Amino acid sequence: MIHLKNICKTYSHRTKVLRDLNLNIHPGEFVSIVGQSGAGKTTLVKILIGEERVDSGQVEIGGWDITRLSRREVPYLRRQIGVIFQDFKLLPKKTLAENIAFALEVSGGTNAKIKSIVPSVLKIVGLEDKADRYPTEISGGEAQRAAIARALVHQPKILLADEPTGNLDTINADEIIDLLLRINRFGTTVILVTHNREIVNRLNRRVVAMERGEIISDQEHGKYVL
Amino acid sequence: MNTILRILKFSAQDIARNVWLSVATITILVLTLFSINIMATVRVISDNAIEVIKGKVDFSVYLKSEAGEGEILALKTKIEGLNNVKSVDYVSKQQALQKFRDKNQNNQQVIEALRELGKNPLSPSLNILPNDTTQAAQLVESLKRLDSDIIESRDFSDNAAIVKKVDYITGKINEAGLFVIIVFSLTSLLVIYNTVKVTIYTHRREIEIMRLVGASRSFIVAPFLVSALIYTLIAILLITSIFFPFLTLLQPYLEVFFTGYNINIVSYFINNFWFIFGVEFLAAAFAAASASLLAVRKYSKV
Repeated sequence: MIHLKNICKTYSHRTKVLRDLNLNIHPGEFVSIVGQSGAGKTTLVKILIGEERVDSGQVEIGGWDITRLSRREVPYLRRQIGVIFQDFKLLPKKTLAENIAFALEVSGGTNAKIKSIVPSVLKIVGLEDKADRYPTEISGGEAQRAAIARALVHQPKILLADEPTGNLDTINADEIIDLLLRINRFGTTVILVTHNREIVNRLNRRVVAMERGEIISDQEHGKYVL
Repeated sequence: MNTILRILKFSAQDIARNVWLSVATITILVLTLFSINIMATVRVISDNAIEVIKGKVDFSVYLKSEAGEGEILALKTKIEGLNNVKSVDYVSKQQALQKFRDKNQNNQQVIEALRELGKNPLSPSLNILPNDTTQAAQLVESLKRLDSDIIESRDFSDNAAIVKKVDYITGKINEAGLFVIIVFSLTSLLVIYNTVKVTIYTHRREIEIMRLVGASRSFIVAPFLVSALIYTLIAILLITSIFFPFLTLLQPYLEVFFTGYNINIVSYFINNFWFIFGVEFLAAAFAAASASLLAVRKYSKV
């Protein structure tokens, strides 16, 4: 599903963020990527969504070599990967239903498709009764669930979650992780980038630990080792 | 078609849901356009004032008292045939006397002296109005070369000097006016450009989110372009509905100032409506659209 081969990334101030990194993630896996600040987790996410390019090495997602992705191709990549962020990234002047519909509208989805998909993904995340609320009118946990619903509209093979529980309390955080596990059971590959020790230990799934741009540990049923 | 409808929908939603931002943007556009139109009005008034002054500059050929009517009219026709002659007015001895009396009606000494003289001392004359005062020197030369026995006096040196001075002053006024209008228009375009840029700056987070959910740059920029054009169109409609009442209020003051001359600023703006407001719309829309394109380009590099 995802193949990273000898990837390196250096920023302009000559700080090596990723050093000769190799990683293979298989379809249907639930992988937690852990590491302290500055370990290179965020850069890795940025590379996977086409926001950054690698200096060397090869990046392949679902058989598509995105190593030298052009700016024009970036939107197409992002329509195939569901992404959720710590700060939810919902459009503040659109309702939850409109936020979710927007992801389909930008890719040319038909009105009929939008009308059928939006309510169904809202139902999956348990927000069917809050479709007409604005992001400012809901809680953090609900906002993150809305972001997950938006990430699901393209029925992605990969769901990338970058610190999705960072802004949430324990109860809401657990709900979001349960939702991600449920999505994973449907066959979607989930990559969870986090530094939440309790969550990673509770999951008992594959854990990739990073430090200073390198993978220092990769365990099939791992614990938070840092 | 679906994409166009969605772009229009996003643009309408953006304007309506950011209503105060939209109102502020349109207000700045209206104030800027109002200033430009004020400058245009000042320019029209100054042009008219210059024309009025130029209309007062003429050259007089004084004729002998005994000159016959037929000879005078023949000379008039000859002068009318010269280059750069707008009109030639024949003022008879009697008309000249009447004008002199009217002009000095409050000066008893002059009226008394005229009565004691017992006869009309004034000569008939031909008053020549030039088409273009900048070419007055050539006209003066042509008038000096005129061969006619009925001409008594043709000394134009004073008038030629006045014409030269008027041309110098009007030339300077035109240059200064043009400079002020160019500087003012560029400043106004910059104000419009920055207003739209600031409006989009407030949307920078939304633009970033749009890119992250897979929107292409053209899909992001199009609603902002449409919004910028709608802002400009609304501003132009508002300025026309504000500016014409303003001109109507100004008109009576102009009529008093230019008594005896036909200056109608309202008619000028009506006659040149499409040109004035069309150019303003195109220039403002260009500035707003450029600002949209550059600002969205800047904030969508995610």
